[in-house]
Amino acid sequence: MTTAKLDRRYLLMIAIGLFILLVIIYPLWQVVFRSFLDAGSFSLKSYRKVFAYPSYYRALLNSIWISCATGAFCMVFGTLLAFLVVRTDLPGKNFLRTLLVLPYALPSFFSAIAWIQLLGPQGYLARIFFQLSGAQAAPWNIYSAGGIVFVLTVHYFILVFITVAGALERMDASLEEAARASGANTYRIMREITLPLVLPAIVAGGLLAFIGALANFGIPALLGMRARFFVLTTSIYYALAIPDFGLATALSSMLVIVALISMALQFGIQKGESRYTVISGKSVHPAELKLRSMRYPLCFGTAAFVFFISIIPILSMVLTALVKYWGAPLAIANLTLSNFIYILNLETGRRAIVNSLFLAGMSATVAMFVGSLISYLHVKAKLKGARALDFLATIPYAVPHTVIAIAMILAWARPPVSLYGTLWIILVAYFAVYLPFAVRTTNSTLQQVHDSLEEAARASGAKVFPRLRDIILPLARPGMIAGWILVFMPALRELTVSILLYTYHTETIGVVVYNMQDAGYREIAAALASIVMALLIVGNMVIRKLTGGVTGF
Amino acid sequence: MDKIRVTNLTKRYGKVVAVDSVTLSVREKEFFSLLGPSGCGKSTVLRCVAGLEEPTEGEIYIGETRVNSTADGINIPTEIRPIGMVFQNYAVWPHMTVAENVAYPLKVKKLTKEAIGPKLEVALHTVGLDRLFDRYPSQLSGGEQQRVALARALIKEPEVLLLDEPLSNLDAKLREQMRFELKDLQRRAGIPILYVTHDQTEALAMSDRVAVMNAGRIVQVGAPAEIYAQPVDRFVADFIGLMNFIPGRILSRNGEEVTVELLGGHRLKVADRSGLTGACVVAVRPEDISLDTTAPMRCRVAAFNYSGHLIDYKVEADGSVLRIQTSKNEVFEEGEELGFAIHRAMLFAQPEVQSP
Repeated sequence: MTTAKLDRRYLLMIAIGLFILLVIIYPLWQVVFRSFLDAGSFSLKSYRKVFAYPSYYRALLNSIWISCATGAFCMVFGTLLAFLVVRTDLPGKNFLRTLLVLPYALPSFFSAIAWIQLLGPQGYLARIFFQLSGAQAAPWNIYSAGGIVFVLTVHYFILVFITVAGALERMDASLEEAARASGANTYRIMREITLPLVLPAIVAGGLLAFIGALANFGIPALLGMRARFFVLTTSIYYALAIPDFGLATALSSMLVIVALISMALQFGIQKGESRYTVISGKSVHPAELKLRSMRYPLCFGTAAFVFFISIIPILSMVLTALVKYWGAPLAIANLTLSNFIYILNLETGRRAIVNSLFLAGMSATVAMFVGSLISYLHVKAKLKGARALDFLATIPYAVPHTVIAIAMILAWARPPVSLYGTLWIILVAYFAVYLPFAVRTTNSTLQQVHDSLEEAARASGAKVFPRLRDIILPLARPGMIAGWILVFMPALRELTVSILLYTYHTETIGVVVYNMQDAGYREIAAALASIVMALLIVGNMVIRKLTGGVTGF
Repeated sequence: MDKIRVTNLTKRYGKVVAVDSVTLSVREKEFFSLLGPSGCGKSTVLRCVAGLEEPTEGEIYIGETRVNSTADGINIPTEIRPIGMVFQNYAVWPHMTVAENVAYPLKVKKLTKEAIGPKLEVALHTVGLDRLFDRYPSQLSGGEQQRVALARALIKEPEVLLLDEPLSNLDAKLREQMRFELKDLQRRAGIPILYVTHDQTEALAMSDRVAVMNAGRIVQVGAPAEIYAQPVDRFVADFIGLMNFIPGRILSRNGEEVTVELLGGHRLKVADRSGLTGACVVAVRPEDISLDTTAPMRCRVAAFNYSGHLIDYKVEADGSVLRIQTSKNEVFEEGEELGFAIHRAMLFAQPEVQSP
């Protein structure tokens, strides 16, 4: 009996590694590489162009200040709400907490569309304002930098909320009790003990919101381009339309650099926070702050706020989908289902639904399949080098989706492999976008399958594939299905990648909603968006059921 | 013939040496235990034998097959080693019934249903699970899950059985019952067992031979009685059973008979082959001390525990605290002044005092 010199699992690892290098890393490299290229030789011309034209470097500055402002507002609102919901005796706080997550569960460009419906020139809230005040024009303009910051904040504040709420819940109650025993009153405790302790979480959450705002395309596209207000993502879109690949890649590289710096900061802060031994995993819950006479006023205020940002946009979307034409007076007689019938009968609409279902299903399946293999090699088999594989698969997480789309165009839109104009190029881009999420869920799912269960199968004589088939996969199945849906749902309504990669015949749902809205067919866009929202809500409920309420919104 | 032979096994994780040049052999039909405190490397040795860890250095034979040799680059994968293994947490697959769990090793061998049937019946009968064959693990008690794991390990008729702390998750009563069953099962199956445990009573009760490990090395190998009666060093003496350590001084040596002075000038004759001189440590088992009212060495009863078959005293004698276990019916009260006699003792070198 001799030993099998080359473990078959290493072959698998090398194969996956090469696949990821080819499909994800090589295209991303192309972006950086091409930004330094002019007519085949090294040049800084593209970067010079960015800084020579005010419209381009202003996009960079706009991106930064818009994201900073969004981050700051998110920190304020996210922290306040987290304190209210976690640390006080606010009535109905658990229900409010569930509702708070709602805006983030919907795609950001849906939010932009809904807020245009509400606050735009003909918007529902604007109309109510006109009637109440008698004014002819609103003192605000949704198509502006302010509008962009507002909708970005509504969409991303939950990231601060979740990190701060987590830190508050993990905080050791005795720290506050010690301050109380030292004679400090509640206000001083909050200001001098609690706030400093959760500050890293606030900043880390703010940076997450900053990164989200920086990479966002849908909101600045729908709210900014009309006012000729550009940020990096929309400038890249614009540069591709020219098309000027040098400019697009230079802008992309800059976008990636800003994203990477803020991500490194965020990672550093979270690591620093975990070194704070005071915030431990103990389950001693700090005492709830008694709001006393403020209890019901604050409850009413918070509920109104949550209703405003979570419920009203959804109602607005559904209402718009049901009106006969945009701007029609609100009366029962003006409600109709014809918008739904129209979009479902429209060839483009039907094609987009089929395309999106195909793309979402395929990308979820492929990403989960590759993700499971990577997690198996990394978490279970613990092969040398598998950690590198895990790292490779996580790289796209740090790259804004606009850049991933450009990378795919650069790598796969010219001979010898020309996928441009097909669904395949969108599929490859989706795969790159969602692989990091898939790997994260498969990692945690497989970690829950105890090592000895596989070792027992080895000791029973089972080789790699029987072990995977008989032991690992059946045990990981519920987590895998939840992970599949977690990729499928965002892919179903994806916009940023598809809008850059679609051509006639390869439209996705996101593209059609965006184009309909942009072309002024708002009630049609709303009808399609409502259908997708219904699907997303059902999907969420399925996930909650599968994972016992651990994941999902 | 040896069924397991491990030669100069070393396992390093980076700079940490988990197992340091361990050599051992398990004979035919032998129940062999690796005993030691947690982190001593005993489980790593077992996992190397199973092929779940790859040795940094050394050779391992199972039967006549060389399964590991770092010199010749041999590392046969676990799945083709002729072993059966039982894990600390049972590792019974929760998505399979008892019968499916137990039959799995035969299924992966691609045996037909007809061939599996009778063997499965025998295996289930051996561990007394005949009637629970269609249950899922979540419907079983810890002890029953343990039996499933055992049946699964036995059904492939391995050359050796590897058990990694299999009883440590069971409650005290069941654990004692399983000790007898395991021993009995091994006798009937005639299979050699390599058993890992940190529980010295368990190791002493079941094993034919025990290897005591500390800090990655085997300190002593021998039959349980031998290890209990003649520990080679202070660590083994302390780890196995209860032991009183009393500071003393060797006054004279006459062949193997040594006279030591202890506890404020009392003298004791001890059989000793260590060749120690001067200051030493006198080690005495609690049951090797008797209490009465007249003996010259005096002590005072500080506390006692009544535990049915014996009485466990804590006494103070000249600044030392001693544990004494007697089965005498006479009960002494707390604070009573008594005499005591030491009947058997061992001598060890004084532990080196490390200067700060």
